[in-house]
Amino acid sequence: MVKFLKLYEKIGIFILIVLASIFLAIVSPNFRNLDTILGIIMQGSYGAIIAFGMTYAITSGGLDLSVEAVMGLTSVIIAMLIPTMGFVGAILIAITASCFVGLINGLLITKMDVNPFITTLAMQAILRGASLLITGGRQIVISQKEFMSIGATELFHIPTPIVYMVVLFIIFYIILNMTTFGRHVAATGSNEQAAKMSGLNVSLIKIIVYILVAFSASIVGVIRTSQTLIGIPTMAPGFTLNVLTIAILGGTSLAGGKGNLIGTLFAGIFISMIYYGLNLLYVQIFYQMLAVGITLLFALFIDGLRNRYLNVARIKGIRV
Amino acid sequence: MMNNNNIFIELKNIRKIFPGVVALENVDFDVRYGEVHALVGENGAGKSTLIKILGGAYQLDGGEIIIEGKPVTIGSTSMAQHLKIAVIYQEFNLVPDLSVAENIFIGREPKIGKSFINWRKINNDAAEILKKLEIDINPRKFISDLSVAEKQMVEIAKSLSMDARLIVMDEPTATLTEKEVVKLFSIIKELKAKGVSIIYISHRLDEAFELADRITVLRDGRKIETKKISETNQNEIVSLMVGKIVKDYFVGKKEEINEKEIVMEVKNYNIADSIYDLNFKLYKGEILGFAGVLGSGIHHLLRSIYGVSQKTSGEVYFEGKKVEINSPSEAINLGIGFVTEDRKGEGLLNDMSVIQNLSIIIIKTLTFFKGMFIRQKDEFAVFDNMAKELNIKYANINQRIIYLSGGNQQKVIIGRTLVSECKVLILLEPTRGIDVGAKAEIHKIMIELANKGISIIMASSELPELVNLTDRCIVLYKGKFAAEFNRENMNEEELVAAEIGKLSYAVN
Repeated sequence: MVKFLKLYEKIGIFILIVLASIFLAIVSPNFRNLDTILGIIMQGSYGAIIAFGMTYAITSGGLDLSVEAVMGLTSVIIAMLIPTMGFVGAILIAITASCFVGLINGLLITKMDVNPFITTLAMQAILRGASLLITGGRQIVISQKEFMSIGATELFHIPTPIVYMVVLFIIFYIILNMTTFGRHVAATGSNEQAAKMSGLNVSLIKIIVYILVAFSASIVGVIRTSQTLIGIPTMAPGFTLNVLTIAILGGTSLAGGKGNLIGTLFAGIFISMIYYGLNLLYVQIFYQMLAVGITLLFALFIDGLRNRYLNVARIKGIRV
Repeated sequence: MMNNNNIFIELKNIRKIFPGVVALENVDFDVRYGEVHALVGENGAGKSTLIKILGGAYQLDGGEIIIEGKPVTIGSTSMAQHLKIAVIYQEFNLVPDLSVAENIFIGREPKIGKSFINWRKINNDAAEILKKLEIDINPRKFISDLSVAEKQMVEIAKSLSMDARLIVMDEPTATLTEKEVVKLFSIIKELKAKGVSIIYISHRLDEAFELADRITVLRDGRKIETKKISETNQNEIVSLMVGKIVKDYFVGKKEEINEKEIVMEVKNYNIADSIYDLNFKLYKGEILGFAGVLGSGIHHLLRSIYGVSQKTSGEVYFEGKKVEINSPSEAINLGIGFVTEDRKGEGLLNDMSVIQNLSIIIIKTLTFFKGMFIRQKDEFAVFDNMAKELNIKYANINQRIIYLSGGNQQKVIIGRTLVSECKVLILLEPTRGIDVGAKAEIHKIMIELANKGISIIMASSELPELVNLTDRCIVLYKGKFAAEFNRENMNEEELVAAEIGKLSYAVN
């Protein structure tokens, strides 16, 4: 069992993707063409990008449930500002505002010592409410067509969201695995008290992490708004759950201290494959929610098993 | 003194084994009706194991327990309760978010019908028990609002409410003020008069001599002697506790320091409720020991110097300059290293690798591009160097630290502070929970470091370790300076005496 779990930790998500690919290739002739595959990856990129940020939060021993509301806030701010400032300025302000939300999350969690789960859940409600208030509950149509160049175009035949995902993946990966900051994030999540005793400024580290999560959510908010040209205050309801599922399925342990961004990347694509597969079967959209819930439970189950078995192995002195 | 010679409980040939360690061997012990029986011994002598057996937390590996002539088994805490044995552990067994009355009757609440708690009865009954003990606590108060002394009283009330015939008290006075101790003693005497038997565990011998009828000394898991209090004295008990020093892992003495250069000086140091007006100096290249039993405040003191917790007042001079240390990072920057006694809770980065655990303090220096990117080659070099120096055994550098043995974990944690090139190294219980071989290695490392000029402060509850390793040893008793020893006059008997408040003098 320990061996299986160790193996799963390394290649589990790839096996899932291979199995899903085989299944899709059999049931859908379309799946065998490149555009379909790129489409699936693009659909997966939204969740994956935010899950990069979420991976940081979980690695630091926390969680951020406010991401979908940050997307909505970004969308609304852009739609409101675009007529006066043009899309570049609007995007910059929207992203800055989102980072500010992350800063508030981080300050509440570290300085007021509130539970991250509840703090970010409250922030979710506050942002949703504020976004709806700003727009009076309406969606705002954006008339600047050139804004579409951000998220609805292709670069060398590759949809831009995929390009953003790859670029952000590289940046997030390098920061987490090769910089002192990344090391400090893992140390904080691994044992906060030990990190403090080693002289780390744990509060600052966590605040930056929550800013990173909000930043990644804001990026996806920009992309989605650019594709639809509508400012939607209630953008992507329930998406936070997808993001969590992707991060945990990717192998980032909820216990903290161990972030796996490669896993997150591929888990994002895997979730998208599930959606695609369910669409092929012409099932109701409700089944997609069901599927995400089941996937999350499965991921948690594996995470729990891993923690338990590794613990037992340690106590029994088995070398893993 | 002995009114009643009838034996209530008798333990015969008790044996308890933990993996690799014999905790108790051939221990015989008995308590009479209405007797206070003191149980003393150094740390690791087996006292806690013995009372955990009585409380049903541990199972015997040999021997038998006889209550009122009948052999019994105490297979669980509820069986202990059923046999009318109550154990009051140092860390109390109270639910903080329930009221005093609820805690006293927990699991045995008077009910209306089958499901509803009879609140009036539970509060009245609790009030009655508290009144009997002359304890002035409102039974409706929550445990979390009580002082340590009050919690203790509630524990006693709880044992009485279940008609306990034997009450075991583990270091009951360690955190009490003198006034509260007087109160506790009068309650114990009352219980005794009612025929309740009491096992009283304490480091403070004068307490044992005031209360007890008989006293039993344990050492290294064996019973050394049981004596009538009237037929012995404290000096005899101290020498029985220490016995012959086990020197089998002794690794040799460090060099004497010749030039006395002050590295750190602590003046008029106070911490609320734990340290009072403490002064000490630390010289270059010396190993300074701190000794004291529970309640001595040593850990508070050293944690506060490292900036983990705050002092109330006092000054710290580091290399001649007055410094304010408000966080571990400030201490690290000055050149102070700290190795915690709670390796798992605040030492190990559990999910991270051996190499990452070693480098965490200095990782920002092993970088390129303005301290941002980790230079893995440098990190490995530092690790490899330290692993060889400290003889750390590991499977590969990416092995998670929790899979190392306790001794190797400890070496990594010590190495973590050493690579930061600290000048002062504070070690709390550096050899706790590691085996004898690794212990000797840690001792050797400490001596080598001190010979290199690093000043070491070591707090230890193991006297042989202090006597063998340190240049000087300061003993604290209840947060105050009690005695200081140097190499010439250091011996275990006097150290023990000073630790338990029986000796108070300084040299130099």
